[in-house]
Amino acid sequence: MKKLALLGLGITLSVMSFSQTLITRNAYIKFYSTTPIEDIEAASNQASSVLDLEKKQIVFQVLMNSFQFEKALMQEHFNENYIESAKFPKGIFKGEIASSEDLSKDGAHKVTISGELTVHGKKKSINTEMTLTKKGEEYLLDGKFEVSPADFEIPIPSAVENKIGKTLEITVKSKYQPK
Amino acid sequence: MKYFLPFLFLISPLFSLGQDDLLDMLGEEEETAEYATATFKGTKIVNLQSSEIPAKGVMQFVILHRFGAINDDYFYNFLGLDNAQIRFSFDYSFTDWLNVGVARSSASKTYESFVKTKLLRQSTGKINMPISLVYYGSFNYSVQKWADNLPHNETDRMSFVNQLIIARKFSERFSAEIAPTMVHFNYVDTREMNNDLYFIGAGARMKINNRIALTAEYQLGLTNNFYMENGQQVNYQDALSIGVDIETGGHVFQLHLSNSRGLADPQWMARTPGTWGNGDIYLGFNISRVFTLKKPKEVEAPTF
Repeated sequence: MKKLALLGLGITLSVMSFSQTLITRNAYIKFYSTTPIEDIEAASNQASSVLDLEKKQIVFQVLMNSFQFEKALMQEHFNENYIESAKFPKGIFKGEIASSEDLSKDGAHKVTISGELTVHGKKKSINTEMTLTKKGEEYLLDGKFEVSPADFEIPIPSAVENKIGKTLEITVKSKYQPK
Repeated sequence: MKYFLPFLFLISPLFSLGQDDLLDMLGEEEETAEYATATFKGTKIVNLQSSEIPAKGVMQFVILHRFGAINDDYFYNFLGLDNAQIRFSFDYSFTDWLNVGVARSSASKTYESFVKTKLLRQSTGKINMPISLVYYGSFNYSVQKWADNLPHNETDRMSFVNQLIIARKFSERFSAEIAPTMVHFNYVDTREMNNDLYFIGAGARMKINNRIALTAEYQLGLTNNFYMENGQQVNYQDALSIGVDIETGGHVFQLHLSNSRGLADPQWMARTPGTWGNGDIYLGFNISRVFTLKKPKEVEAPTF
């Protein structure tokens, strides 16, 4: 009986700790630039992310060449001329997640995410509010923040200066399963 | 020993906590094939086809423009700028590997239709392929009035080009290709001239920066290729071109010098009389503009 209880405790403990780590390989990231001349939008749903609710940590990783544009030539220019994805293949975010709410309860929770975004080999600190919704075992993180091409030292030639926004809106939608 | 199993369960949470960097958990991502993209900026290097075709659902409009010879009375004709020839073409990519198009060239009054298809794509990673292989074929129909007073068949106006393009992007900056080519003329002026001509085309580009590249191409003739002038055989020359590619937002601008003024494939490949040495040099440019006719499927976001 004692042995069994110990075994039960062991299982519960390990399940508990594992359930705190959430993972996805199909996180959605979109960026959107708007100017009076042109709106540019590109998205990838091949980002991966790990969310550890116990340690309150979150990471994202995305291959820059997985972003899909409406215009193929624009996508080529993005990879070749702007983001230089052969040299800097990945975009990475490493940060912390904080909330005053009990995230183990079902429903929508306000969370604060702060950390460092690395794109084009340059770092930029991000601090933003997002929504983390829990439904059963799964979590959906949903939110937006803004960056600027200048943050990552991506030069914009004067010929296209007024077609690319000074700020880009980044949308994140990431649905996690327990690891 | 009998406590071993529970012990294992007890320490297993410690293992998961021991993983300091969450990024490490993503480490074991599946390896994918990384395809080489943008081996060349344009679908042509100068006259020679590159290994590129527009993406699926994209229509391309290309204008080729060739001025007169620089040595044609020099400044009287303003180094050839006073007269010009032009070729318009429209092509469309039905898939990422199949492109078809039509064109019209002014000088030889030629209508063209062509097909370009990717057979192999250069890649690393899961699939390792050192080269890209592309087939290009064109059908050419000249409507030029016959200079002789001989009876002709309609088929005499036709000529054909078959070409394989073997290309490699050696680095981000340097790409090169070789292109074994066969040109067939249904009709040639004299019985001594060859109907079938073989060539090896070669081309390369070197990027100066993200938007400007230098290009060069050479079409080496392998078959005896000549025309008759006053009863004498005069050889046609190999076409050598050098150029610069300038990329702006929606189009590629290619500016170049060549000893060939021909626009339609059989013309520039096999009917180049002039040489660089004699100053038979033609300034020209290509402009391409792309239109996305069919948008790619939108990337879907997850929801509950």
